[in-house]
Amino acid sequence: MKSAEGNKGTKALWRVLALLLVFVMIAAACGDDDGDDGEADDGSTASDDMDDGDMDDMDDDGHDHDDDMDDDGHDHDDDMDDMDDGDMDDMDDMGDMDGDFSAAFLYISPVGEAGWTWAHDQGRLYAEEATGIPTVFVDSIDDTSAADTEAAIRTLVADGHDVIIGTSFGYMDTMEAMADEFPDVVFEHVSGYKANETNFGNTFGKIYQPRYLTGMIAGAATETNQIGYVAAFPIPEVARGINAFTLGAQRVNPDVEVVVQWTSTWFDPAIEGDAADALLEGGADVIAMHQDTTSAGLAAEAAGARWVSYNSDMSEFAPDAYLASAIWNWGPRYAEIISSAADGSYAPGFYWGGYADGIVDIGSIADDVDSDIVAQVQDIRQQMIDGTFAVFSGPLFAQDGTQLLAEGEVMDPGMLLGEAFFVQGVVGDIG
Amino acid sequence: MDAAPLAVELKGIWKRFPGVVANAGTELTVKRGSIHAVLGENGAGKSTLMNVLAGVYRPEEGEVRLFGERVVFANPADALAAGVGMVHQEFRLVPTFTVAENVVLGAADRVLNMGAVERRVAELAGQFSLDVDPQRHIWQLSMGERQRVEILKALWRDAEILILDEPTAVLTPNEADELGLVIRRMANDGRSVIFISHKLHEVKQYCDEATVLRGGKTVAASMPVADLTPQQLAELMVGEATEAALRPEPRQAGEQLLSVQNLCALNNRSLEALSNISLSVHAGEIVGIAGVAGNGQRELSDVIAGLRESTSGTVTLFGEDITTATPRQRFRAGLSYIPEDRVGVGLAPQLSVTDNAILRSYREHTRGPLIAVDRAKAFCADVVDSFKVRTGSLDQRIAGLSGGNLQRLLVGRELTAEPSVIVASQPTRGLDVQGVKAIQELLIDARNEGLGVLMISEDLDELLAISDRIIVMHEGQIAAEYEGADADRSAIGLAMAGESP
Amino acid sequence: MIRPVLVRREVPVRGGQPLAFAVGLLVALLLGAVLLLVAGDSPMEVYRRMLSASFGDLEAFSVTLNRAIPLALAGLAVAIAATMGLWNIGAEGQILFGATTAAGIAQIGEGWSGPVLILAMIVGGSIGGALWALGPAAAKAYIGVNEIITTLMLNEIAVRLIRYLINGPWKDPEGYGFVQAPALPEQSFLPNLFQRTHIGLLIAIAVLAVIGLMVSRSSWGYELRVAGSSGATAAYAGISLKRKILTVLVLSGAVAGLAGGIELTGNATRLTETVSNGYGFAGIIVAALALMRPSGVAAVAVLFGAVQVGGQSIKAIGVSDAVSTVLQALILFGVIAAGVLIVYRIEMAEPKVRST
Repeated sequence: MKSAEGNKGTKALWRVLALLLVFVMIAAACGDDDGDDGEADDGSTASDDMDDGDMDDMDDDGHDHDDDMDDDGHDHDDDMDDMDDGDMDDMDDMGDMDGDFSAAFLYISPVGEAGWTWAHDQGRLYAEEATGIPTVFVDSIDDTSAADTEAAIRTLVADGHDVIIGTSFGYMDTMEAMADEFPDVVFEHVSGYKANETNFGNTFGKIYQPRYLTGMIAGAATETNQIGYVAAFPIPEVARGINAFTLGAQRVNPDVEVVVQWTSTWFDPAIEGDAADALLEGGADVIAMHQDTTSAGLAAEAAGARWVSYNSDMSEFAPDAYLASAIWNWGPRYAEIISSAADGSYAPGFYWGGYADGIVDIGSIADDVDSDIVAQVQDIRQQMIDGTFAVFSGPLFAQDGTQLLAEGEVMDPGMLLGEAFFVQGVVGDIG
Repeated sequence: MDAAPLAVELKGIWKRFPGVVANAGTELTVKRGSIHAVLGENGAGKSTLMNVLAGVYRPEEGEVRLFGERVVFANPADALAAGVGMVHQEFRLVPTFTVAENVVLGAADRVLNMGAVERRVAELAGQFSLDVDPQRHIWQLSMGERQRVEILKALWRDAEILILDEPTAVLTPNEADELGLVIRRMANDGRSVIFISHKLHEVKQYCDEATVLRGGKTVAASMPVADLTPQQLAELMVGEATEAALRPEPRQAGEQLLSVQNLCALNNRSLEALSNISLSVHAGEIVGIAGVAGNGQRELSDVIAGLRESTSGTVTLFGEDITTATPRQRFRAGLSYIPEDRVGVGLAPQLSVTDNAILRSYREHTRGPLIAVDRAKAFCADVVDSFKVRTGSLDQRIAGLSGGNLQRLLVGRELTAEPSVIVASQPTRGLDVQGVKAIQELLIDARNEGLGVLMISEDLDELLAISDRIIVMHEGQIAAEYEGADADRSAIGLAMAGESP
Repeated sequence: MIRPVLVRREVPVRGGQPLAFAVGLLVALLLGAVLLLVAGDSPMEVYRRMLSASFGDLEAFSVTLNRAIPLALAGLAVAIAATMGLWNIGAEGQILFGATTAAGIAQIGEGWSGPVLILAMIVGGSIGGALWALGPAAAKAYIGVNEIITTLMLNEIAVRLIRYLINGPWKDPEGYGFVQAPALPEQSFLPNLFQRTHIGLLIAIAVLAVIGLMVSRSSWGYELRVAGSSGATAAYAGISLKRKILTVLVLSGAVAGLAGGIELTGNATRLTETVSNGYGFAGIIVAALALMRPSGVAAVAVLFGAVQVGGQSIKAIGVSDAVSTVLQALILFGVIAAGVLIVYRIEMAEPKVRST
């Protein structure tokens, strides 16, 4: 689940170009005026050398911006090259693809080396391997721009792709409309809440399950009994994760508190880092997150605190702080969608897979985590896989102490999906 | 650099601009350690000559020597490196920087220690009694203090020769006297100061020698100031009457058309520019306003035309009070205006000849909300034909027209409206000989047809040639008034310079 | 040392603009080819695809046109203001607020019939844009506050306003808690003219034609051009600068806001903080390429739209986002640079000579 925050490459470019242009034109206009005056007054254009100075300054500015841009571009470039040298050859003969069955993925950001989009791309590569059906991806498609999303999908459909998988929430409405317009193409949207009866389905997973496990590890690790949670938006998906994490922490440490800091962004390294710093200063010694960058982890690393990552195993980014991670494993699901679409058995619906389906898991666990805790985690994990463990079961109390579930009760899916509350032990406001 | 007696030698400098010869073999020599005045009316070529010396312009002919060595400057930085610093009339300071920062801007060491720089700036300032605090920001300073910063900038760059372009124009009398002391110290220090002015008493007071320019030529070189009276200087500046062939037939002036009573107004710096001016223009006369630039003429014409508010006093046209009328109302009432800045006020530089021709009358050439292009073009063609404007096409931008043709277009447009009164500010400045004559004839014709003409000019010869009356302005007041026939050139020159005749 | 300097030509190169387009485009494509080769992509393949994705068939062209609509209107908004020497850097914010106003109307008029609702939303968008420009316009006209700064700042404020609305009062009650505005009612979607091009195209063409005519031919536009050429000349001719500044900036905002209304009804399914899609800033580039003439804006907008659509399409054949972005910039830079050379020429400054 992501928004466009981290993905404004082209638009940022137009913005910079436009402003640059304004300044250059203003500088040029100043020159003009002097020229005109000069003609009338017998040559007292004393400001000639001034103008030169101005222009030089402008040039310098322009240069700086250019440099910045190049740098950025370069980074992405490298990432990309690493990722898909292999696929490139398959894609060269795009035009010939019409006859063959193929799938295309829509990403919100560049693939990078970890995180949301990287996890999806791992899934894509897995599916390609598993099904033998070629796939392509289009990255950096702003999901808040219906025009961009639509143009990208149209291109992919025109290229003859038979399955379009969109991996950001904001693609939902456009995918719905496109599914209507192209009934022969299967559209699968990740993280939304819409589907149709024929060719538009929805996929998501119970990431709260591994979050519960990471909560156990974090709850055992904290010495201050205060865990900071850097969270994007107060929506059910995020709240569910916070609650599951808190319940997991409380399982091993009844005194623990989870303090939530909202960032109002999915992807903003600076804001996420600041939020983590604020939590650390407030007394937290473990940081968890529902964000798409690693900066909360870097903040924890710098402060000598611990960290639980999300989306993918990010142990290499903050090796000392890293405790564990709740990770996505999209591959099997993607392989299922693509192969069922290929053999005509695809049936859209609301897929919400959990541990039993292998779509979520816990990443590597740090070596210094107590072996007893690891054993407990493994035990619960197995129960989750077997389908015998419910994270949200009674007795369950809300933040204000009211009882939500009685002993023996298990939360029904409706309540689970619409989870707009915090459980007891969470510090922070929702909505 | 050994002790060559001459700091500056400019020999046979020629510099032309389109339609204008600014310097025609101008000569100037400045001794080391002296304060040298360069005098001349506006358009005499002073500024151009100084810009040549400061590396802003490159002369077409002639040579520049500093301390006996020939130099060629590609740009002002070259000149500065050779020791020539210029303080322009418009200061070039960064308002949000401190004094010290401005002084070292562009001439600082790679590693900047502001504390040390401030100390050194303060030292330098103290050496020449330049009273200014290095830590203050430019925007906090008075004009006089800003000028000191400009001088400091030149001194910081080791200027051996300092050019001050009309330095007292922005100063109060006290500040001017302080400046006099500062430049005397600099001269005593062995530096040379070139002091551009047309205020005779200042020249007498502050300078050692004077060179007088007229029409781009040197008419008096390096005269010891001590030996000259202001009267002699004035005569050198304004010259002798060359020809009076244009002088119109004397005639009885008609009814009073335009009248200005007790008019006061501020200039752009909110200082009083006009104080209690009263004058009138009658049908069939040309009233000339003489004066050195910056003595309120521009403000006077702007107030009459409605482009500047007066602070008190009245303007009446045909006996009707138009003091608060808009420019358009005044124009409709019969007042035409030829502004001093013909491109930029009277004409719109980026628009076509046609668009400029209809500036006053575009509302009459419309069809519905649209301008009727055919009618506008016909009107323009009429102006262009009647006033002999040479232009390639009516759709051409006026920026391509020569100064003379621009002025014909402007004057033609203003006269086509059949006004009763014309206010013409510097209508012939910068034009070539033919252009000057053509415009003067147009104004005389207008006068002969019974129009009232108020003509502001810095060219005394011109005023003497065509005016029925001459009013001399000095520091926003009327210093003297003469009937055209018995106007005395040197008396006017003295009045212009603020000396009582 | 010889250094190149730009010297303004006395007469711009005859018939220069189309020529500049061609030359600039060619140079940019050549440079782009080098870039693509370095990045390991096939230039011919990439260019062929960009062309086919933007102009390949009617369907592709209709997508390009759809994108050209807001670009043209934003470009027009900037160009109108520039005619008077004013810089409306706030088209982005005006588009956003126009779209916000239109979205508000959609909430009120959920039960209205399609044509009524669409008309109300588009007109409302225009009024919203005008209101968003009113503050900077009044500040410029009456106190002389630099409009570049105020319009630029209001862009950010518009983004924050939408963010606030989406998070608060306008949060979609049916969005399962997701932070988004409610979906627009079905009947508010602009009908299509042909393929993907919606009837916003006709509105844009009409507005471009009327305003283009007003600027170039009407006495109102004449006053604008005089004021743009020289404020002092305008005062001399009795033109009220204050009123002109006010009306021009507000009109500029209205045109940008119109783009917001059209974009919302034509392309969006709900209000988002990026519904403007960067068109407000791109509009500055469009206007500059069109030499600030409303008449040139349409053609440039189509080119720009094609570059954007084409640039995005090549990502599906493995060209990285960064390379695609740089390629788009190269093409526009090439054309801009050539445009500059119509008006200026490069001269080598004479070397310093100093004999001693």
